[in-house]
Amino acid sequence: MSTLRLTFKDQPAVPIEAEALSPDALAGLSLDEIRATPIYVGKRRRRIDELFDVEGEPGDQLALHGDLHRVKWLGRGMTRGRLTVHGNAGMHLGSHMKGGEIEVHGNAGDWVGAEMTGGSIRVRGNAGGQIGAAYRGSLAGMRNGLIVIDGSVGLEIGMRMRRGTIVIGGRAKDFAGLQMKGGTIVLLQGAEIRTGAWMVRGTIISLAPLPLLPTFAFAASQNPVFMNLYSRRLAPLGITLPYCASEGSYACYSGDSSVPGKGEILVWQPV
Amino acid sequence: MGGKVTCTLGEVKNRADFIVYWGGNPAECHPRHFTKYTLMQKSKFLPRGRKDRTMVLVDIRETKSAKASDIFLQIRPGKDFEVLTILRAMVKGQAVNDDLIAETGLTKEQLQDFVDRMKRAKFGVFFFGMGLSMTRGKHMNSAAILTLAAELNAYTKFVAMPMRGHGNVTGADVIMRWTTGYPFGINFNRGYPRYNPGEFSTVDLLVRGDVDAALILGADPGATMPQPAIDHLARVPTIVLDPKVTHTSRIARVHITTAATGISAPGTGYRMDEIPLPLRPALKSPYPTDEEVVRRIHEAVANKPDWIAKNGETVAKQVS
Amino acid sequence: MLRITGGKVYDPANGLDGVVKDICIADGRIVETVEGGRTIDATGMIVFPGGVDVHTHVAGGAINFARAMTPEDHRRTMAFIRSQTTRSGIGGMAPTTFATGYLYAGMGWTTLNEAAVPIISAKHTHEELSDVPIVDKCSCVLMANNEIVLDLLEAGEMERAKQIVAWQIWASKAYGVKAVNPGGVAAWKWGKDAKQLHDPIEGYSKLTPGDIVSGLAQIVDELGLPHPLHLHCNNLGAPGNISTTLETMRRLEERRAHMAHLQYHAYGGDDWFTMRSASVPIAEYFNAHPNLTCDAGAVLFGDTVTITADGPWQHLLYKLTGRKWGNLDVENETGCGIVPYTYRPSNLVNAVQWAAGLELLLLIDDPWRVFLSTDHPNGACFWRYPEIIQLLMCADFRRECIARLTPQAKQRITLPELDREYTLYEIATIVSAGPARALGLPQKGQLGVGADADVVIYEEEPDILRMFSHPRYVLKGGEIVIEDGDVRATPQGREFLVKPAYDEAIETYLRPKFEDQYTMSFENYPVEMERLEHPEIRDCIPAE
Repeated sequence: MSTLRLTFKDQPAVPIEAEALSPDALAGLSLDEIRATPIYVGKRRRRIDELFDVEGEPGDQLALHGDLHRVKWLGRGMTRGRLTVHGNAGMHLGSHMKGGEIEVHGNAGDWVGAEMTGGSIRVRGNAGGQIGAAYRGSLAGMRNGLIVIDGSVGLEIGMRMRRGTIVIGGRAKDFAGLQMKGGTIVLLQGAEIRTGAWMVRGTIISLAPLPLLPTFAFAASQNPVFMNLYSRRLAPLGITLPYCASEGSYACYSGDSSVPGKGEILVWQPV
Repeated sequence: MGGKVTCTLGEVKNRADFIVYWGGNPAECHPRHFTKYTLMQKSKFLPRGRKDRTMVLVDIRETKSAKASDIFLQIRPGKDFEVLTILRAMVKGQAVNDDLIAETGLTKEQLQDFVDRMKRAKFGVFFFGMGLSMTRGKHMNSAAILTLAAELNAYTKFVAMPMRGHGNVTGADVIMRWTTGYPFGINFNRGYPRYNPGEFSTVDLLVRGDVDAALILGADPGATMPQPAIDHLARVPTIVLDPKVTHTSRIARVHITTAATGISAPGTGYRMDEIPLPLRPALKSPYPTDEEVVRRIHEAVANKPDWIAKNGETVAKQVS
Repeated sequence: MLRITGGKVYDPANGLDGVVKDICIADGRIVETVEGGRTIDATGMIVFPGGVDVHTHVAGGAINFARAMTPEDHRRTMAFIRSQTTRSGIGGMAPTTFATGYLYAGMGWTTLNEAAVPIISAKHTHEELSDVPIVDKCSCVLMANNEIVLDLLEAGEMERAKQIVAWQIWASKAYGVKAVNPGGVAAWKWGKDAKQLHDPIEGYSKLTPGDIVSGLAQIVDELGLPHPLHLHCNNLGAPGNISTTLETMRRLEERRAHMAHLQYHAYGGDDWFTMRSASVPIAEYFNAHPNLTCDAGAVLFGDTVTITADGPWQHLLYKLTGRKWGNLDVENETGCGIVPYTYRPSNLVNAVQWAAGLELLLLIDDPWRVFLSTDHPNGACFWRYPEIIQLLMCADFRRECIARLTPQAKQRITLPELDREYTLYEIATIVSAGPARALGLPQKGQLGVGADADVVIYEEEPDILRMFSHPRYVLKGGEIVIEDGDVRATPQGREFLVKPAYDEAIETYLRPKFEDQYTMSFENYPVEMERLEHPEIRDCIPAE
C-alpha cells in the first residue's frame, strides 16, 4: 500500500481549515497537484506545500505528522482509505465522514465525527466536546459508524445521534447522549452530570457509577443478551465490556421522562 | 424539539396573570420591569393590576426580588436544568424519581403546586436571567426553559423571554441575523457567513488565541471575559471604539473616542423583545459616532486591493 | 440609453403577444426611441416585463426569527460569497436580505410586496427592506387583529376606525392593509382561535371575524388605497375550510379584496383523513366575482419553513411535526408563528396541497386575477417559481409528477383531469402584469412608453425550467443588473407607500389608548420617513 506523508512545518498565527487533507480527496492527484491543492490559513488561501512537506506516494493512505491541533476539518466527508495523524488534530476531525478509517496518535478537538454516516475514528488521546454530535440546529447527529476515544472528552458527546457507536475510555463531561435518538454510547469510566438528558431512544452503557437525572426510572438489574454481542464486537479494539452474570449485572434505567423518551442507561454493578 | 415561544412586553403588561422570574433579580437589575411591564400595570384584562397577577421567583438565593414575589422557590446552585427537566415531565404527568427531587432543594409538593399554577394561568410568562443562562449548562438551561414554555401551550398560553444584559445586544443580534442568517458567533473567513458557537464565539476565539487582531465596539470584554481571553487581547493589535476609558481600552493598542449612542449620537436600540426604538440624542458630541468611524475604516480598507480575486483565489499578503 | 432589438415581446398590459419589437430605454424608463447607447441583440430571445411578487415574506421580525431558527438550512444551502459587486449572505428557506435581492433579480423579479408588517416593529421591516438590493418594494400592514381597530369595529364606530387605519398606515409607512386570520390572532393571545366567520371572538362580546373582513374591506375602499384589502382568511390549512373561504368571499359583497395564498383555503373533507381539494367550487365562485384577485400560494415538495401571523395554526403544525416552533405575539396588533416543514409527495395532505395550488391556477379563467406565489417561504421558497411555471406550461410534465402521488391522493384532487397549458403570454400576466395591476402600480408589469424599465430577457428554449431559472439579462430601472447569471450592479430600489387622508385630531383619541395599552412612548411609535431608502408616496383615490 502506498502512503502519502505530509509533515507540518510551522504553527501559523491563526487556525487552518484543511478539508482537502483527506485520503480520497488526494488519492487521484500527482505529488505536484497535491502540493498545489488549496487549504485556508485564516481567511487566506494557501498551497499545501506552503505549510507541509509533501513526500511519499499518493494513494489510499495519508499520514500527517506534527502538532495539528489548529488544523480543522481533517478527513471531512471522507469515503474510503486511511488517515493517520501522528500528533494532535484540530476541530471537526472526520465530520460528515462516510467511510474509511481515521486514527489519531494524540488528542483531537471538538466535533470529532460530527454528523458522520459511516467509517471509524480512533483517537488515542483525549478529545473535545460534541463528538458524533449534530451541528447546531440539525435534527440528527451521527447516523452510523464508530468513534473510539481512549482518553477523556468534553460536553454533549453523541448529541442527537441516531445510530452508530461511541466508546469513551476516559471520563465524559456533562450532557453525554443529550437528546439522543438512537445508537450506543459506552462510557468506560462514567461521566459527570446530566448523562442522557432529554434522550428519546438509544442506549448509554457506563462501567462506572453515574449521577442520573430524576427523570430516569430504575427498571431492572439484568445482563442483557446484546451486551454479549457488543462485547465481542469491541474486543478486537482492546475494549472489554463485562457481560457475565458471575461478574456482576447492569442496573437499567429508562428515560428521559421529560420528553417522554424510551432511552436506556445501563450502569455496571460488579459483584 | 422545542423552540422559542415569546411575545412583546406589552402582551405581558396587558395579559400576564402568572409571571415567573428565573435566575434574575429584576428588583435590582431591571428596576423598571415590575412597574412598567409585569406586576403593577392595570389593563383591560387585569383591571386590579398587581392583585390580578401572581409572581414566582426561582433563584438560588433570596434577593430583593423575593420580597416582590408571591412565591419564592429557592433551588440549589447548579440545579436549574434538573428542576426544569422535572417540570417538563410533571407537566405531562410523567413519573420522576422522588428521591432525587430533594437534591434540587425543592419538594415534590412545591413542584406540583408550581405545575398546577402554571397550567391554571390564563397567560403565563417566564423571564430568565443570567443566573440561568450563564451557569453550568448554559445554553441548555435556556433551551430547557424555552421548551417548557412551548410545551405548556398544550394546556394554556405560556411564553418565555430572556432578560438580556446591558447595551444593545439584541440590536446586534437582530442585524446580524438579517445580514448573515446567524445571531452571533459568525466567521467570514471563507467569504460567506458561517456559524458555530463555541468555535467562533468571541470568548472562545480569544481564549484559544485564534485571532490576530480585534476590533471592539459597544462592549468591554476586558471587564467580563476570563483572563486568558483578556491576555490575548493585550497580545494582538486591539482597537476599541468607546466614549469612555474602559478595562479593554486600557489594554488596547488604539482607543478611538466616539460619541455615546443615545446620549450624543442617534441610532436604533432593540428592546429585549426585539421592538426597535429610535434613540434621539439629547446632547452634541465633539467625537464622531461609532457608525462614522466604522464607515471610514471600511472605506480605507475598500481602497486596498481586494483579498478575494475573481477566480476565488485570495491574496496571500495584503499590500499595506 | 439602451435598445433591445429582435426579441419577442410578451407585454400583456399592452396586448403584445410575442411581437418582435424594439424596446428603448432612457433615464430608467421605456421610451419611444433612443439614439445611440448600448444595443442588446435579443434575437431568438423573449422579453418580459420584470416579475412582480404580490405576496412574499422577506423582511421583518418574523422572517428574521425564522433565520435564527434554521442554521441547519443555512449550512446546506447556497452561500453567497462576497465579491466586488455583492455582499455575502445565505440563500435557502429564509434568505438573508442581500441574498434575497440577488435571488429575486437573478430570476427576473424586480418588484415585491412584503405582505405582513406589524406597526410596532415596522421600523425593523423597513430597515431590512432597505438592505434588500435591486428590487422595488412595498409592504402591507397587519390590521385584522389590531385591538384598537377591533374595539372600534365592535362599537360600530366605522368613521373613527377609518381614521385610525389611515393614521396607522402612514405611521407604519405601509402601502396596503393586510388582514390575517381576522380575530383569530387576537383570540390566540388567549390560546384560542377564531375559525368560523360568525363566531364571536374570544375577548369580545359580539365582534365576529366576518365583521372585521367587511369592515376593513370597506375602509380600504373608502380610503381609496391602490391595493385592495389583502386578505388571509380564517381557518387556514384546515380540512373543510372551503365553507369559511366561500363565506368570506360572500361577506365581501362588491368590495375589492385580494385573497392571499388561496390554496391554503381551498380544502374539502372533514378531517386530515378525508381532506380533499375543493379548488373547483372556489374557482367557480371566484370566476363569477370580478371584485376579487388572488395569489395561488402554491406548494412544492421539499423543505421549507412556514411563517405566518396565524399563531394557532402554527401551534397545531408544531404538534403535528414535533419539530421546532417559534412564536412571537406582538402587543395589541398581531403575532407570528414559525415551524420548519417538509412537504412530501407521499403525504396525503401535502399531495392535496400541491395539487390544489396548481388547480386554482389552471381553473381560474382570468390570468389577470390569479397570480403566481408560494406565499414564500410557506409553500416553497420564491426562488423555486420557475418550477411552478414549468408545471403550468407542460401538461405532460405535470402528469409525470402526478404519477408519483399515492393512488389515494389521486382520488382527492382534480389536477389529473386538467389539460390546460399556460402560454407565455399568460405566464407574463400571472407573474408580472396581473400582480402589478392588483397592487395598483401602473408603471410596473408592462413595457409601454413611460413604464419603469424593469425588463427580463430569456434565451428561448424548450426546457422551460432552465429558461425561467436563468434569464440572459435582467434590467432594473434601465440598468443591467444580471447578465448570464452574474450580478452586474446592485442599485438601491425604491419603496412605495401611501398617505391616506385622515384628520390629525385622531391622535387626541389614539394617544391615551396607546399609552394605556402599549409599552413605548407615542412619539416613538411611527416610522420616521428617513428610515426608508428612496421612498415614493403613491396616490390614494378615495371613494366619493
